[in-house]
Amino acid sequence: MSRWVEQFNGRMDAWGRKLHEKEIRIPIDLVTGVVFFLVALVILLVMPDQVAVSEKDVVNGRAFPTMLMAVMMLCCAMLVAKELYKLATRQPLNWKVINVQVEMKALVILGILIGTWALSKITGLFVVGAVFCCLGFLLYFRCRKKSYYAITLVLAVAIWAAFRFVLGVDF
Amino acid sequence: MLQHIIPATGLLFTLENILWINVGVFIGSVFAAIPGLSVILCVILFLPVTYSMTAIPGMMFLLGIYCAGGYGGSVSAILINTPGTPHAAATMLDGHPLSEQGRTKAALKIALYASTFGGVFSALMLLFLGPQVARIAAQLGTAEYFMVCVFGLTIIAGVSGKSMIKGLISACLGLLISCVGSDPMTSYDRFTFGIPRLYLGLDLAICLIGLFALVEIMAKAEKRLDRLDLDTTQIKDDGVITKAEYRRMARPVLVSSIIGVLVGIIPGTGASEASWFSYNTAKNMSKHPEEFGRGSVEGIAAAESANNAVTGATLIPLLTLGIPGDGTVAIMLSALMINGLNPGLSLFTTQGDIMYAIMLGLILVNIFMCLQGKFLTTLFAKVVSIPQEILTPIIVIFCFAGAYSVNGNYFDVGVALIFGILAWILRKLDLPPVPILLGLVLGSMTETNFRRALLISNGSPKIFFSSIYCIIFLVLIVAAVGTIVRGKMKERRASGQKED
Repeated sequence: MSRWVEQFNGRMDAWGRKLHEKEIRIPIDLVTGVVFFLVALVILLVMPDQVAVSEKDVVNGRAFPTMLMAVMMLCCAMLVAKELYKLATRQPLNWKVINVQVEMKALVILGILIGTWALSKITGLFVVGAVFCCLGFLLYFRCRKKSYYAITLVLAVAIWAAFRFVLGVDF
Repeated sequence: MLQHIIPATGLLFTLENILWINVGVFIGSVFAAIPGLSVILCVILFLPVTYSMTAIPGMMFLLGIYCAGGYGGSVSAILINTPGTPHAAATMLDGHPLSEQGRTKAALKIALYASTFGGVFSALMLLFLGPQVARIAAQLGTAEYFMVCVFGLTIIAGVSGKSMIKGLISACLGLLISCVGSDPMTSYDRFTFGIPRLYLGLDLAICLIGLFALVEIMAKAEKRLDRLDLDTTQIKDDGVITKAEYRRMARPVLVSSIIGVLVGIIPGTGASEASWFSYNTAKNMSKHPEEFGRGSVEGIAAAESANNAVTGATLIPLLTLGIPGDGTVAIMLSALMINGLNPGLSLFTTQGDIMYAIMLGLILVNIFMCLQGKFLTTLFAKVVSIPQEILTPIIVIFCFAGAYSVNGNYFDVGVALIFGILAWILRKLDLPPVPILLGLVLGSMTETNFRRALLISNGSPKIFFSSIYCIIFLVLIVAAVGTIVRGKMKERRASGQKED
């Protein structure tokens, strides 16, 4: 068992080293400006379907979100214009380096979170999800101390019990 | 004021309130002592717990966390040279050197006493200034209130990130999310996408669990697991503070408390700004400036009293105008509103007993913080070295249990997860999360006042420029934006020169 774990860890380390070298550079302000401009545009387009109004209203329910989206589009346009000006005058853009290894790790953590939620929902027992969450994170951190497993599991059950029996949350 | 204080005292001094204050202080001290865990995260995690409480115990619990968080950060700053919270960074400059001189307990005591003084001073300021500001706030109409909201959002969007434009995008996003659910004026549903559960809107606690707590868990991917090995035997010194040291601390503690209150009243600023500003002021005023950075008692006292003096002051704009002084108190606003306590003059008149009980309770919180700090510091110090392997899943379980407990369904836990993913994307795009929080908190108030004002003026936007208060807030918005933009340009120029 321990040899299998060592082999698995070795493979993960080798894979991690490879991924660690891979980086993606993105012009962060330009991307933010474009993405949120499009988000604002989509919101404005779906607004008639999503916000019902009465013709009698002097100021209807669309007024405030429309104003917000206009402000957001203006901010995005300023962000994009600033970056385009930099590009035109050959000034360095605002870049962000995204490390692929970090993002993969974040996806694994997200997987544990989704697994916890899904298990709790499917079984209807929060404590099952809580136990999965503890084991998932301890394995993610490659924890080998048995005492940590015991402490974490006891704490997880204690939290569930506190919410269930002290605060009266039915799960 | 006196007619409220006596009944308020009766409401405050109950076993339940005393218990919740102590639980809050203990949890706040523990969370703030652990580097990487913030006070805002702690308040978010425990906000759903307050939903089943009445206003006073709920607020006492949250205020206990908030105030103790101000002191708790100094424990790890002094012991292991790592601030538990960002605002304890100034404390670290002198706290850790004093600890290295074999006076760890003395350093912790100075931090504790200074924090308590700052906190009590701030609570007294809230008690005396709050009702006066509320009286002025009572003269504001809907248009003025809208301008107040815009002022609060603009200043916070401006100071909470590297770029003001990105802060504004975040604020707009927060305001948009607050529009989900039924229209506050017509009850038509908005942005529900056919999901019936969204009709009542998104609960603030659920959004915040995703935006601030789950994203921190995902951020573990970016950090290495550093073990903080702490030898608690170093706290075994006698902890004696001499009379001469007490005399030296008196002036910086008082001046810093005043600075803390003044900084705390301004929305968007916070304990970090107050502690650095006070630290520098104390250094300039000191007869021994050469001792700063080498274990000066004045340095520790100045930084700690200032960051705790912010706590009561941030509540002044919150309770009177509904504008939170910082992100943490923004969350407390929802705890107040759940109990039907809406900010403004009515809070100090019709619900004066409850309000005065909360304000007096803030003094009590600081006293219990001092007592717990005096007797439990060694325990807080041991907590600093809790391994991340244990802490991380426990926080996740708390998040999920908290999200579930709000409405008793797993849909809300899913919403929290979606907000966690959204926050992760926003973090990658360098968009600050605090303006989103402010947008979520102020969304309904901003929109309602905006629409009511336009209804009164029959759709004419001239109403937003019609009164003296509107003009004052407009000038304040322009001045704030100008100052922020100028500051950012200076920062950029300075960093450009450094690079050259």
